[in-house]
Amino acid sequence: MSEHTVATVSELEDGDRKLIEIEGREIALFRLDGEFRAYTNWCIHQGGPACEGSITGTSDAEFDRDELQTELQWSKEGEVLNCPWHGWEYDIPTGDCLSKEGAKLPSHPVRVEDGDVVVSL
Amino acid sequence: MMSQTAAHALAETTVVDTDVHITVEEEMIAKYLEEPHRSSITDSPHPMFPSSSWDQRMGGKIDDYFSEFTGPEDIRQFQEDFQIDYPIINTFEPLGKFSQPDLAMSLMRAYNDLLLDKFLDDYDFLGLGAVATQRPEEAAAEIDRIGDNEQIVGLYLGTSGEYPPLGDPSNDPIYKAAEDHDLPIVFHGNGEEFMFDFPLHNKGFNNYFEVQSLGHPWQQMATMASVIGEGVPAKFPDLDFVFLEAGIGWVPYLMHRMNKIYRMRRSEVPLLDQSPEEYIRDRFYIGSQPLGEPNRSEDMKRMIETLGADMLMFATDYPHWDFDHLEELDKYLQHYFTEEERQKILYETPVEAFRLPFQQ
Ligand code: FES
Repeated sequence: MSEHTVATVSELEDGDRKLIEIEGREIALFRLDGEFRAYTNWCIHQGGPACEGSITGTSDAEFDRDELQTELQWSKEGEVLNCPWHGWEYDIPTGDCLSKEGAKLPSHPVRVEDGDVVVSL
Repeated sequence: MMSQTAAHALAETTVVDTDVHITVEEEMIAKYLEEPHRSSITDSPHPMFPSSSWDQRMGGKIDDYFSEFTGPEDIRQFQEDFQIDYPIINTFEPLGKFSQPDLAMSLMRAYNDLLLDKFLDDYDFLGLGAVATQRPEEAAAEIDRIGDNEQIVGLYLGTSGEYPPLGDPSNDPIYKAAEDHDLPIVFHGNGEEFMFDFPLHNKGFNNYFEVQSLGHPWQQMATMASVIGEGVPAKFPDLDFVFLEAGIGWVPYLMHRMNKIYRMRRSEVPLLDQSPEEYIRDRFYIGSQPLGEPNRSEDMKRMIETLGADMLMFATDYPHWDFDHLEELDKYLQHYFTEEERQKILYETPVEAFRLPFQQ
């Protein structure tokens, strides 16, 4: 395993991301709620640049069987990464793919040390 | 990024992409039109190219790659990024939707002039000639005008908004001209234009999921049933047919269903002297995109086997938002099929379908 300093903590605000190349691999560093996460920029669908996509929320729905009403909610604002090729959705906090159960973005351990963000590959 | 083995196998394979769309801005096509149609596009207060209002790209969740895909250098870049050796390009716009026949005819000629002028004359690209069916005799004359150009390798017909259905005998002048020039007819389905053929469903569906699930296959199935039912392949025995943009799963279903109905109702379709399946296997070709995504990958293996390597061809549909990367098809080809079958699908079958001027 190799360790790489990829940013300083103050470089990224909440909601920001930074694309980096480590050992020929494209990695994206995300900052959300003060936490850092690093994922490989590789969509499990067709290999698109998932980590370069828009960051949005997504829709949830609940059906009330008694009232026969479907209620739509916009949720996870700022936490959903959309692959720009075909729109597959990923949850930024966990890397889980919301479009296909059980699928994930490949993730890498991140730690903060003396104001630096260090990614292990 | 891709695995080393996959990258290696691709480097060894020549790939033909049967469906690449160039984006033609309204101002650009206007330059190739005569009056009054030129001003109709540039100065008209009402939109020339009607929109269905569906939000295909979901508020930007899917990126726009097509607005910038307008010139030969964009195609070159795409070839490099997506490992495509021979993109077969078309001007996309489905012309059947235009109510004014004179406008449709002018647009057909303008798209072909633009294709020749901007893409074929100074480059070695291969392209499809646009055909509008509102006046079949005029369309046939257009096929005569462009059909001997070596870089025109097929004729492109949108299958949305076409009336009457495309097998109707009124379209025979088009098929005759295509056969005379040894050019396959390429039928292309469309999502945005769903509203022209299926206005009630377009109005009734509440989301684009429903429209996109059905739009292209409904159009392509209607076209295939009409072409076979009217005996077009029997009338023009040297003419071949290509179907793009509805994936592949609909083909076995319709082919087997038409076999059954043909045997029940043979006297209704006496021009046919073979089963629908025989015509389809001999003379029809199917583009892979958008390849379905079965949860069990062996289901796709069986589907590809049913079509066979003589019928299936690869297509990206780039730069449209539902395009397929080569790996989408190739992961099945590499896993389940022989190298010979894979070579056929990626190269030899399109070379045969479009009579491409290369060594096999
Ligand atoms: S490659 Fe990411 S959604 Fe298709």
